[in-house]
Amino acid sequence: MTEQLNIILNGKAIKGKAGESILELSRRFNVDIPTLCYDPRLDPYSSCFVCVVEVEGMRGLQPACSTRLAEGMKIWTENERVRKSRKSAIDLMVSNHYADCVAPCQQSCPAGVDVQGYISLIEKGMYKEAVEVIKETNPLPAVCGRVCVRPCELACRRKLLDEGAPVGIDYLKRFAADMDLASGDPYMPRMEAPTGKKVAIIGAGPGGLSAAFFLQKKGHQADIYEAAPAAGGWLRYGIPEYRLPNDVLQQEVDAITRMGANIYYNKKLGENLHYADLRKEYDALVLAIGSQKGTLLGAEGEEAEGVYSGIDFLKEMEVSGERKDFRGKKVAVVGGGNTAMDCCRTSVRCGADKVYVIYRRTEKEMPANPIEIHESKLEGIEYLFLTNPKKVNADENGRVKSVTCLKMELGAPDASGRRRPVPMEGSDFDIEVDIILAAIGQKTVADFLEDVNGSGVEGELKVNRWGDLDADSKTLQTGVASIFAAGDGVTGPATLIEAIGQAKLASHSCHLYLSGMEVKPPKAPFIISRDRFKEQKPDAYQGQFVPQEREEMPTLPAGERMNFKEVELGYAGEEVAKHETHRCLECGCSEYFECDLKRVAEAYEAEQTRYGGEFKEYQVDFRHPYIEIDNNKCILCGRCIRICKEVVGANALGFINRGFETYVAPAMGESLRDTHCESCGMCISTCPTAAITENFLFKPGPVKTDKDKTICHYCSVGCELELNHKNGFVMRVKGSNGLINKNTNICRYGKFGYQPYNQKDRITQPLLRDGDKWKEISFEEAFGIIADKVKAVKADENAFFAGARLTNEEQYMVQKLARAGARTNNAGSFHYLGRGEGYSQSSQQNVPLEALGKADQIWIMGTRIQDEHAVVGFEIQNARVKRGTRLGVISTEGITGLEHKSEDIVRINDYYHFLKAVNHYILSNGLENRMWLDSNEAGFEAYRDQLLEEDFDDHFERAGSCCVDHLLGFARDISKAESAVLVFSEKELTANAVIELHNLAMITGRLGKTANGIFALKEKNNSHGLHDMGLDPLLLPAGLSFREHKGFVAKTWGIDALPEKSSNLLSGLNDGIFRNIFIFGEDPVGCAIHKDEVQAWLEKADFLMVQDIFHNETTALADLILPASFGAEVEGSFTNAQRVIQQFSPALPPKIIFDGVAQLAGILKALGVNGITSPEEAREEIFRLLPQQGTAKASLKPTPGDDGTRLFDYGCDDLTRRFEMAFREAFA
Amino acid sequence: MSKTQVIVGLGSCGIAAGAGKTFEKISQLQSSESLDFELKKTSCVGMCYNEPLVEVIDESGSYLYGGVDEERAIQIIDKHIVNHEPVRELVVRSDLFETADKEFLDTQVKIALRNCGFIDPESIEEYEARQGYLSLKQIGGEGISQEEVIRTVLDSGLRGRGGGGFPTGMKWRFAFKNPSPEKYIICNADEGDPGAFMDRSLLEGDPHSVIEGMIIGAYAIGATSGVIYCRAEYPLAIKRLEIAIDQAREKGYLGKNIAGIQGFHFDMYIKEGAGAFVCGEETALIASVEGERGMPRKRPPFPAESGLWGKPTNINNVETWANIPWIIQHGAEAYAQYGTEKSKGTKVFALAGKIKRSGLVEVPMGITIRDIIFKLGGGIPQNKKFKAVQLGGPSGGCIPEYLADTIVDYDSVNATGAIMGSGGMVVMDETTCMVDVARFFLDFTQKESCGKCTFCRIGTKRMLEILTRITEGEGQEGDLELLQDLSEQIKDNSLCGLGQTAPNPVLTTIRYFRDEYEAHIRDKKCPAKVCKALLTYTIDPEKCTGCTVCAKKCPVDCISGERKQIHLIDQEACIRCGECYSRCRFEAILIQ
Repeated sequence: MTEQLNIILNGKAIKGKAGESILELSRRFNVDIPTLCYDPRLDPYSSCFVCVVEVEGMRGLQPACSTRLAEGMKIWTENERVRKSRKSAIDLMVSNHYADCVAPCQQSCPAGVDVQGYISLIEKGMYKEAVEVIKETNPLPAVCGRVCVRPCELACRRKLLDEGAPVGIDYLKRFAADMDLASGDPYMPRMEAPTGKKVAIIGAGPGGLSAAFFLQKKGHQADIYEAAPAAGGWLRYGIPEYRLPNDVLQQEVDAITRMGANIYYNKKLGENLHYADLRKEYDALVLAIGSQKGTLLGAEGEEAEGVYSGIDFLKEMEVSGERKDFRGKKVAVVGGGNTAMDCCRTSVRCGADKVYVIYRRTEKEMPANPIEIHESKLEGIEYLFLTNPKKVNADENGRVKSVTCLKMELGAPDASGRRRPVPMEGSDFDIEVDIILAAIGQKTVADFLEDVNGSGVEGELKVNRWGDLDADSKTLQTGVASIFAAGDGVTGPATLIEAIGQAKLASHSCHLYLSGMEVKPPKAPFIISRDRFKEQKPDAYQGQFVPQEREEMPTLPAGERMNFKEVELGYAGEEVAKHETHRCLECGCSEYFECDLKRVAEAYEAEQTRYGGEFKEYQVDFRHPYIEIDNNKCILCGRCIRICKEVVGANALGFINRGFETYVAPAMGESLRDTHCESCGMCISTCPTAAITENFLFKPGPVKTDKDKTICHYCSVGCELELNHKNGFVMRVKGSNGLINKNTNICRYGKFGYQPYNQKDRITQPLLRDGDKWKEISFEEAFGIIADKVKAVKADENAFFAGARLTNEEQYMVQKLARAGARTNNAGSFHYLGRGEGYSQSSQQNVPLEALGKADQIWIMGTRIQDEHAVVGFEIQNARVKRGTRLGVISTEGITGLEHKSEDIVRINDYYHFLKAVNHYILSNGLENRMWLDSNEAGFEAYRDQLLEEDFDDHFERAGSCCVDHLLGFARDISKAESAVLVFSEKELTANAVIELHNLAMITGRLGKTANGIFALKEKNNSHGLHDMGLDPLLLPAGLSFREHKGFVAKTWGIDALPEKSSNLLSGLNDGIFRNIFIFGEDPVGCAIHKDEVQAWLEKADFLMVQDIFHNETTALADLILPASFGAEVEGSFTNAQRVIQQFSPALPPKIIFDGVAQLAGILKALGVNGITSPEEAREEIFRLLPQQGTAKASLKPTPGDDGTRLFDYGCDDLTRRFEMAFREAFA
Repeated sequence: MSKTQVIVGLGSCGIAAGAGKTFEKISQLQSSESLDFELKKTSCVGMCYNEPLVEVIDESGSYLYGGVDEERAIQIIDKHIVNHEPVRELVVRSDLFETADKEFLDTQVKIALRNCGFIDPESIEEYEARQGYLSLKQIGGEGISQEEVIRTVLDSGLRGRGGGGFPTGMKWRFAFKNPSPEKYIICNADEGDPGAFMDRSLLEGDPHSVIEGMIIGAYAIGATSGVIYCRAEYPLAIKRLEIAIDQAREKGYLGKNIAGIQGFHFDMYIKEGAGAFVCGEETALIASVEGERGMPRKRPPFPAESGLWGKPTNINNVETWANIPWIIQHGAEAYAQYGTEKSKGTKVFALAGKIKRSGLVEVPMGITIRDIIFKLGGGIPQNKKFKAVQLGGPSGGCIPEYLADTIVDYDSVNATGAIMGSGGMVVMDETTCMVDVARFFLDFTQKESCGKCTFCRIGTKRMLEILTRITEGEGQEGDLELLQDLSEQIKDNSLCGLGQTAPNPVLTTIRYFRDEYEAHIRDKKCPAKVCKALLTYTIDPEKCTGCTVCAKKCPVDCISGERKQIHLIDQEACIRCGECYSRCRFEAILIQ
């Protein structure tokens, strides 16, 4: 019973436990204390000082993580002093955190579009998901992808390389949007439940459309009233079709109306639409009226005929649907923006003889997109820079005949930062023109103020001194609380993307208003930016990235442009787009959504520059194939160093230098590869920022992911994993608080072995051999073929093999297929083929994983634990550190890889004889535990008598090179230890060696006691399932004895009788008895130690069926291939080496219509056996078979000699083989 | 009647001053001229300012000669040894007549330093001859219990001389009460304060007193093993400790059943520190002994509960240990007769900086700082004005001249914002810029921070940046408040003493010399004329001879003037490097 302490926590009297820290206590009582350096897996350290609290009577503030409770402590976890101190700690940390939370492209986008996120998805061919990311903040990607002014590209850091060419961000956006639109099932955002609130929106331009989108998403009904007969505003009426085709615009408009928004056309507020009426029907109003009126030149004589505002010219053409005829005419376009470009390029298309652009500054200052200028030049436009119209000269009919211009020169910069043009005296000259298009600005027309204000509404809608609508710049709420305004109507003529950004803000405020909440600006996220540390210059980037030229936009040849066909053609295909995505430097942090530092910085409103000063800059270390170290982001919490030391035992990381110069680096040598690093990724799991991350093979985004749990399908420990995926594409894997890995530990298999999920070369359909090729056939057809094959031969000429990767349910069904379907006991696995029966009891009476932490001694037999079952290794290492547990290793390998984290290494040649010799020594010296043996009636005498007849020296000799002291020392230690666990690997010990190990555990009395006994390590996640599910000619499911229970099983299955004969599968294969071989989820050829032999077995069969996920060396021999699912895609259960059955649901969306159980059910049905159709039904049937009595008592079993050898590597699993090959290759 | 003895001081300070050559010279003369005297070695007696020191003891008495280079050695041998005529003008201390430096030694009370400069530190016999190991034998012989030893130490009022000032007896009692069968004793000899060399001198001069102290401590708390954690930069101390430990082992003072006490087994070894200042902090020190990076951890648990290898551990510093044998031998009362009510006994100080007699002194607690500086230290050289004294190294603070009558006593010193520290005393005069001093000490701690705690690692760096900016004339309004605010937070939020005290020099200088900071920030002036960026160099037309030297040496060519014409400095271009000032032979460069 733990001692109870009286504690006052924030004024409340509670009970604390002796030895508990303030942080642990607070967590128990749900009092939140932020911390960055604490990880429950590690000893408290106290370096970040974010968890400080005030304790009455103690000097200074106390770090809650390492301050232990004392009787009567009075603790305050949250007061001004504490908050101030935490904020200062965070401010100090971020003052030296030279990094970007989000990329400059996103930061510079007025709508805040997550560019890096959608580029990452385009890289993966996930266009709908990319559009989903874009539409978080921008509802018009296809439009924007064509006509945006692209502040993102101006900010793009790729410009520091590749001769200043930014990533083709906009081209990529357009590509994704076009792909999505063309998919036939374009992205539709998820909308919140209807709120019953209604909003009227005035104007169906980009602002109005966007507002409708965002409001609909929030569940409000948005109705747009548009003065024109069609939607789009200037997108439709100002931008010519050769740049933005109307049908593209309309598709995005339709996407918004599909969400439920209505658009009412030809409705103009103040004319045929009255606010008084709207007020009755709607709860709020959003004014997205735009800047509608074009301005003229402001020059003398502009009233002459032939002088138009450019925007009116463009609009009239769109409204009338008629192309102007400029043939034989000279046109002057005045202005340097995109409207000027649209005017001049349209004029060309209208047949003008000559088109001038008159601009008072130089090309460098032109606000138009450079690409527009470029294209216009191709189309023959002549530019008159540093020129300004002074006077329009009309002929006698009042028509324009020429324009008098002045030459300009550039003076001092003006408020916009551009150099102000100054007229040069006496530089007047005339140009003969017929038409002048003024593209120098627009004005907002707010002619409905009276209509609104006269309606008796509270407050007043006003315009500002520029004639634009007056709204609070931070909320866009107007003088009338229920009216919001957005877009050009507020800002004056601006850009499309600004209008969208404004609509988002106005919608946010409107939503708050509708929800009855205070209308206030959204809280700005905490963002650290490298640009705020210093200007980013090319030299810091050159050499760090591979140069790659920008994929330019293909366009119509200049000669084919005398029409309004779209000039820009879009990227030619997915490969081009993907290639361009590789130019993204991923400036934003991959841990944006995960970062603890960002989270606390936000909570405490940290400031990057409050303690500005020197900051450290480091090169990111990519040398390890799986682990990336970015010291710029390190806060020196030491968690990586500590977990590597205390839990992993690799001690691969350490601190270098002192004071401000301190940083984390591989402990020895230059690179992590030169250390004892085990590539487990535990350092990544504990890093609170992104200083140690996965060295991703793809662009990780970051994007928001779904997080679903599954059980690892590699080894037999049974760790729970959290798959972070976007629609099935796994972005990363984390350890979860599993039943087995309670502390979230996982190893390199779990952490990095997720690539197969994302591979595109999956088998998804049944494939029938057609000569050298494969023919896709239907599942039903495949089941029929299999049934026919089974029936065509004698029952025992069929053999069925199930892999240790399959779920229990699948394994059970394979076995049932053999016994009930094909009526043969030829059901087994290659995994255990020819390896004796000794492993079936491996899992019995195993100690639980956490009990390892309580043992005094642990002995490992078979040594690659740090690679193959690292999570068990972590538990052992942690026991060494925390408890001083002694670790001995008994190994046949010269180098075990455990030299630096074990107390004792016994090198031998043979496990079986070593164990026999040990048991012999114990018994001949009376070191056995009589008490245990007497109370367990384990057949001791018989065993002893038989063993003692054998020759100790013979066993000792064959055990190998270890000196006798070592062997006897082990024997004595294991007999006498208070608590000792024997950990062994089935991969390296033969079945009879395992039996002798069990015998050793029994004669030393270790079974059934806490922190004592056996810990089996099996090769695959469900190796044990093979025994339990009856994948053995001699075993029935649930370990039922064949002889006793065959009737019971037959009855349960509803068949007359079970097959009688059981043959040896290995000899069957050798002798070529099996005419049909059916393999489910094993790759015996690819994993064979002797390939030719295994290949020969399979070639002897007439028909080979293989079910697997990918093509491999075994499927290559098949006549029929069935597709398999990952465990993570199905429902089912695995039984781990401790015999813990873990049930799971699908974590990833299925990629195959019929999962394993469904396929087997289909085959059984084709063979006339009906019944199970789902994993759940399979489980129910298995439970019905479970024996009523408990597990048989452990008993000593003499072994006659050593038995079978291992025939396969990788647990005979293609997935394990693939990961190991990939791993080895990565380090090659 | 005994033979004449010639004893050469061969501490690090003496060797640095050339005592090695002096020794060789004397030895050479002895053999070449077959002189009959006994040539011996000892260590530093504390008069570092007079090294090399050679003491001649003949039948008339003792004569300590100062500044004995080879030439003087010849002179002394020739006159004093051969002709029996002491060279009076070279004598710095003698019991026969008054010398100028008499006060330096007479004001001292030597307990910890009782043997330094009097015995050959490499000879256990000489230590024994001066009652060495007598206390240990006494404990064994009289069967004094562990509790009694602890009681004596407690009653003596001895407090930790490393700077913490925690009552030593109490610390021992905690460790004693812990029932663990395995306990450790550590001697902290990782002296790291700039300007401090008490531990080094003690270990070089009298290693056995420390070893004996540790053995007694081990007996008292029940420790079986001891470690002396000594800076690797003290090779002579380590060498002499090694010799002493071997000798002690040989004589049975280390080993099994020590001093005849059945079951009292104890041995010790030396662990060389890697030079990190923070390893003076006990938890960091323990980590370092264990082979880890020296980084402090949170206390509790204190080492007395869980220290080296997780076992109860008692750590005291060199000076504390050296006091122990004397206290056991003379009794608690004898020790407690010195000092004040709460600070008993004596304290060793290392005098450094702007002081005439720099060196090592041991004074009774309760003496005023003024007395130490003026009576023992002889005051400020060149009759400059005494400005302040830095006590306690980088963890301590400045005590200004007007508080110089503060007595040496833990509580009185703490009240000034400084700390007693381990005994470093750096004296400053009017030419010292207090902002620059604060910057210097902060620069030290900032670099020596282990890097663990956020506030210590980054906070001190930011403070340093502000101080640097102030000394460079870039100080801004609000900087002092920012410094004070950061200081308080760093003190509140650091695990170990390094961080908790790092702001002290800044806080005390702001407290006592705020006007000097303000002059830097507001007027862009450095009153002490130290901060170069704030100085204006001009040429005194009265004195300038037009020699052109300054113009030639100016690295930025900002001095103009024809030969034999008065020169002029272009203030815009001047980079304030001071080159002209140091080159001018006519004192014509003025600094403002």
